[in-house]
Amino acid sequence: MTTTLTDRYLAATLRSVPTARREEIADELRASIADMIDGRTADGVDTVTAEREVLTELGNPAQLAARYRDRPLQLIGPQYYLAWRRLLILLVSTVPAAVGLLVGGIQATVSDNPGGAVGAGISTAFTVAVQTAFWVTLVFAVLERIGTPLDLPDWTVDQLPDEPVDRDVTRTDTCAAIVFLVLTIAALPWQHFQTVIDGDRLPILDPALWTSWLPVLLAVLVAGIGLEIAKYRAGRWTWPLVGVNAVLDLAFAVPASWLLLSGRLVNPDFVDRFAWLRDGGIDIVARVSAVVIVLITIWDVLDSAVKARRAAR
Amino acid sequence: MVNDEILRTHLQELRRGTVVVASLVALRHPDYGYALLQRLTAYGFPVDANTLYPLLRRLEDQGLLTSEWNTEESRPRKFYRTSEAGEQMLRRLLDDLAAVQISLTALIEGAPR
Repeated sequence: MTTTLTDRYLAATLRSVPTARREEIADELRASIADMIDGRTADGVDTVTAEREVLTELGNPAQLAARYRDRPLQLIGPQYYLAWRRLLILLVSTVPAAVGLLVGGIQATVSDNPGGAVGAGISTAFTVAVQTAFWVTLVFAVLERIGTPLDLPDWTVDQLPDEPVDRDVTRTDTCAAIVFLVLTIAALPWQHFQTVIDGDRLPILDPALWTSWLPVLLAVLVAGIGLEIAKYRAGRWTWPLVGVNAVLDLAFAVPASWLLLSGRLVNPDFVDRFAWLRDGGIDIVARVSAVVIVLITIWDVLDSAVKARRAAR
Repeated sequence: MVNDEILRTHLQELRRGTVVVASLVALRHPDYGYALLQRLTAYGFPVDANTLYPLLRRLEDQGLLTSEWNTEESRPRKFYRTSEAGEQMLRRLLDDLAAVQISLTALIEGAPR
């Protein structure tokens, strides 16, 4: 007995149908397919073409099987999606950073290799983020398939955020951003005068940069404060602000990364003072710092664009 | 001009529930899958085979249809028939469909154009 296309179609469909009902569904589906083929041959279509047409009309066997089982053709459906997203954002935004900081901190204290510790922290945070996302999604996908009710409390109006909707940029956010920028600006001269190692004053950044790139970076940071104020007055991200922000981000990230990677940012005397920096550690620190700067820049530009788009609606 | 794709999805939404009603009405006279498909199509309820066949089984699981194998003809076929429970539910569904039609008519007549 030769295997027909219909046999293969039935086998493919029944593979994922519960065993208890398999035989009955097979008999019925086989008869239905034969009826459909007969219907077409009666109209003058030859049997081979008719069979192909009928099976094409019935479509992907996996999809047909899912309809017989009344199973969802989605990983996480609307019943669970919001709960899944909320939990995922909560966990991924906190757990990886916490674990990464912990691992990096421990590494830094037990080994003489701060650059490696930063790397270990970042790679741990990344692994934890991937693992968290995977397991949360897996649990919700299983819930979706076994149809467990979630029994979450119903949404109430009391959960509405306090902030008025006509202002996306809060005073707290603006103040925090400005404080951060001011501290960064202050850190540049501070490291020049106040870094004391073994009784010697030893700037971390190359003093030669004060007559070249450091004033540029300072100017960009000061312009950043202006941008924060303009953004607060506008109340939200607008496209011109996004443009200015992107220009400022690049004006900081490009020189900073270039100086880091070409080894011109850090004071050579400072590097010489530490064995692990001299023995290649400075390259790791530079590379990791450059990657972090690039990632933060990309994130900041995307974040501002997303918020501007949302505000424009 | 209405976008064809949008029109298609709305028509699909509108038609979705009527397949169940039409099947329960049609199966007051017992019939097998393919013949029911043809009958529904002839009466203006076009339905895909891969939707109807699983639907019949689901309605049977819900006790709204009963089934019986007919082995007298050249090919054994499973005949479905609307059960007593199916008939009761069908009446509720038909009442509701009529209520929708009445409400819609009232709304159309009451609303200024």
